[in-house]
Amino acid sequence: MIVRTLLAAIVAGLIAGVFMTGAQELRVVPLILHAEEFEGEAPAAGEQPAAQPGTVDPAAASHDQHSSLKAVSPIGTLLDALSPITPAYAHEGEHEEGGIMFGMSRFSGTLIANLVTGSGFALLLAGVSLVIGYPITLRNGALWGACGWLAVHMLPAIGLPPELPGFPAAELGDRQVWWLATVALSAVGLYLLVLREEIVAKIIGLVLIAAPHVYGAPQPSDISSNVPAVLGAEFAVAALATTLAFWIVLGVVSGFINDRFAKA
Amino acid sequence: MATSTVSSIPLSLSDRLTAGIIALLIGGFLVFGAGLANSAVLHDTAHDTRHSYGFPCH
Repeated sequence: MIVRTLLAAIVAGLIAGVFMTGAQELRVVPLILHAEEFEGEAPAAGEQPAAQPGTVDPAAASHDQHSSLKAVSPIGTLLDALSPITPAYAHEGEHEEGGIMFGMSRFSGTLIANLVTGSGFALLLAGVSLVIGYPITLRNGALWGACGWLAVHMLPAIGLPPELPGFPAAELGDRQVWWLATVALSAVGLYLLVLREEIVAKIIGLVLIAAPHVYGAPQPSDISSNVPAVLGAEFAVAALATTLAFWIVLGVVSGFINDRFAKA
Repeated sequence: MATSTVSSIPLSLSDRLTAGIIALLIGGFLVFGAGLANSAVLHDTAHDTRHSYGFPCH
């Protein structure tokens, strides 16, 4: 029964991941490719944020894909140490197809990443639903999805908008910690706000949602960039719109599968 | 809390919590690997996905 519940979530995630790949190719990926043209033009000015000076040689980074082998903060090192996936193990790591990760086309990599991410978010959504005891159904699936989008994308985007390659940004580890904390606080806050009856719980929920924004997201010290602002605006909207569609598909499909198969 | 809605999930409370926690752990692992892990191979493979989802990247 447990396996069946988990499988239902994974199937929903795979379906949503395929959908997401199609949606990305329409609008988001072309904007990323466009931005990378500017990123490659004058690496000295905009390639790296000032917060990470001199730790990566822009010429060494490949033209269209940058390696993450760059400035590693203490927190980044800690995350790295906690991660079971290291470059050495990546081949046999989380992806069955790991052996061909280097050889895959960019599109295949994106597709697989979307499938993994979709399954991951689907499992997280199902896990939250199971732990708090509110099932995802076909009727409420879209609302589940919308709350997932709020917690994982919209609310964190207030502090850290979806960024294009070449955009200035603060230290990666700091942003990841702020992002994770904001997602967690937003999720708890939404639960208290939406699903709890008590007025006190709703107020605490609002406070939790607001807290990371009052604290403030890590900001870059130098905000100059070669990438045109128009592209950034278009990208931020496109990224939020596609992720909203992704989460609604994920919620509705999860609800449908739960209603149809997981219950039986 | 909300025991009336729990009944539509055909799992006992302990099974439900077990399944939920397993789902959270596996889901967190997958999202971490695709979105946040500081590995060059994973980063490059998932590059466009990370940007599209707004994961902190680079």
